[in-house]
Amino acid sequence: MTSSIRHSSPLQIKLSATSNTDLRIAVGLAFILAVLPLMIDSRYLIGQVILAMFYAIIATQWNLLFGFAGIFSLAQMAVFALGGYATAMLCSYLSWPMALAIAAAALGTAFVSVLIGLACLRLAGVYVSLLTLAIAQAMHVLIVSDTECFTMVASQCRQFTGGAVGFARFGDLGMRDLLEEHWLWGNYAIVLCLFALCSGFTYFIIHSPMGLAFKALRDNPGYAIARGVNRFQSQLLVFGFSAFFTGLAGGVYAAHFQAIGPSILSWSQFNFIIAITVVGGTGNFWGPIVGTLILMAADELMREMGEFRTLGLGLIIAASVVWMPKGLLGRVQDLQQWWGRKHQSHNHLKSSSNH
Amino acid sequence: MMDIFFSIALSGLTSGAMYALATLGLSLVWGSMGMLNMAHGAMLTLGGYAAFAVVMQMGLPGPLGFVAALGAGALVGALLYMLVVKPLLRAEVASFETAVLMATVGLATALENSILLTFGGQPLAQPVKSDGMLQIGQQGVPYQSMVVIGVALILMGITAYVLQHTRAGRAIRATTQNRDAAQLLGIPVGRVYLQVLMFSGALAGICGCLVSSITQLSPTLGADPMLKAFIMCVVAGLGNLPGAVLAAFALAFIEAIVQYVFGGRWGFPVLLGLVILVLVWRPTGLFGRAQIRRL
Repeated sequence: MTSSIRHSSPLQIKLSATSNTDLRIAVGLAFILAVLPLMIDSRYLIGQVILAMFYAIIATQWNLLFGFAGIFSLAQMAVFALGGYATAMLCSYLSWPMALAIAAAALGTAFVSVLIGLACLRLAGVYVSLLTLAIAQAMHVLIVSDTECFTMVASQCRQFTGGAVGFARFGDLGMRDLLEEHWLWGNYAIVLCLFALCSGFTYFIIHSPMGLAFKALRDNPGYAIARGVNRFQSQLLVFGFSAFFTGLAGGVYAAHFQAIGPSILSWSQFNFIIAITVVGGTGNFWGPIVGTLILMAADELMREMGEFRTLGLGLIIAASVVWMPKGLLGRVQDLQQWWGRKHQSHNHLKSSSNH
Repeated sequence: MMDIFFSIALSGLTSGAMYALATLGLSLVWGSMGMLNMAHGAMLTLGGYAAFAVVMQMGLPGPLGFVAALGAGALVGALLYMLVVKPLLRAEVASFETAVLMATVGLATALENSILLTFGGQPLAQPVKSDGMLQIGQQGVPYQSMVVIGVALILMGITAYVLQHTRAGRAIRATTQNRDAAQLLGIPVGRVYLQVLMFSGALAGICGCLVSSITQLSPTLGADPMLKAFIMCVVAGLGNLPGAVLAAFALAFIEAIVQYVFGGRWGFPVLLGLVILVLVWRPTGLFGRAQIRRL
């Protein structure tokens, strides 16, 4: 006779406990971010928070690719730039409305990234890194060395890819017309919604069967494939999803700053993303967000030091990797486990001494 | 027609020699330690600047600048071992390759930036070079190109001799083939790693000195040769030294031809296209051995 009582396994209880904490943290963060513009008057700080949200989105997507799926891609900024450049070019050359251009750019970026994923299918580990690095560098070189005039813009020569100057004044998020001098708060609201959307989707992907497939392929590809995980499908899905959100963020970035240039493809920008993910903790959903908070704060402090900023950033990355391989959140988890073990042994001692 | 062919050949040989030197150091480290040294470019740059500092600021003769480049590279290699490789090996992190990659990326940024802060961002002229040209009939061959090719060939010969005929070289080859077996046989693997990193650093330093004598000294000098060296290593296959040198010369010639026919900016994208094709056709490179991973 089968029992009709459902035994909830410890794993199930644990999962719902973590998702409960995640929900509380998410609501708290959303609340803080929502009321922040009401408490801060400085346009500079609001601008920095917007920038931080962009970095957090990029880092979260890179974490999805690297931390959860184990694919060490170095083309993240190239994907971001692709989204931004596609938006700028659609607006400049074809005069599309901004929202349509951003959506099309995101889809196009996802498509290109799936192609990159196809090229990387037979590769493992560092070969993927090298291929993606080469693609990113080639894109940078092709843009910066573009010198032949494609069109004339107000008697100034503009190259097809924008060249070293980039694109500017191709449209914005429409907040200036709506709110006039309060347009920054409108942009802030849009970027906050984008941040919530991307993070929410990423969270659901991570905690879905697809996310489990990514983690299985990262931990032990042979075993995962033997158990029926479709590596082809999973790899293309993770490339596609992470690139869609990154490209979307790139489009909104271009629209917010009303300019895009080859400087976002620079190595120092990507260094910042690496630093964020490494310091926060890879393979952990909150890692990139924690990392963004810490590094934006550190960046503000190091701004006083001016020229030593990049040096400090490089040292932070190296030191974090050597001393905190699982990031800050990993260290916190280690501390929790150590504390839990100490409590357990303490309780055992107490109970055994009572006998 | 003849002079076009001659100038392409010369340019291909010179840049091939420089890339071969950069590739040699990278392939050695990658083959024996499984470590992708993203700080290789920074070691290159440091070598060039060390030579500059010794000759211009301390007023010592040219050859000592060369030695300084060698020494600076070896020093950074040793530091890399002490500060990054040894702690990561001891901590036994889940993925050594990616951890080392990120740590060396950070170190490379820090190193490049300290050079920028010390010497400034404007391009400088490398003093350790020889001027003048040798006239062969109608063509002129710069002395510096001959020096570059000669030094590269000598260093490749030295590397081959050390690896094949010395005890240290045998230890390095043993560690490359199977680290655990080498350790069981009593080879001090840690010391071997230190030697490999210092040797690779020295090669990088000299390479930087040579590259900057053909072009100019700037803080981002090493990034481009390093990336091309990666491409050549990958095309040849992991840890295959003769293959890497061959790939370096072959790709340098291809780059020279493409740059002549299509223009300067297409050289690198064509190399990239080649590496994508090679990796899709043969995931472990043209001559590389397939890695057997135990799961």
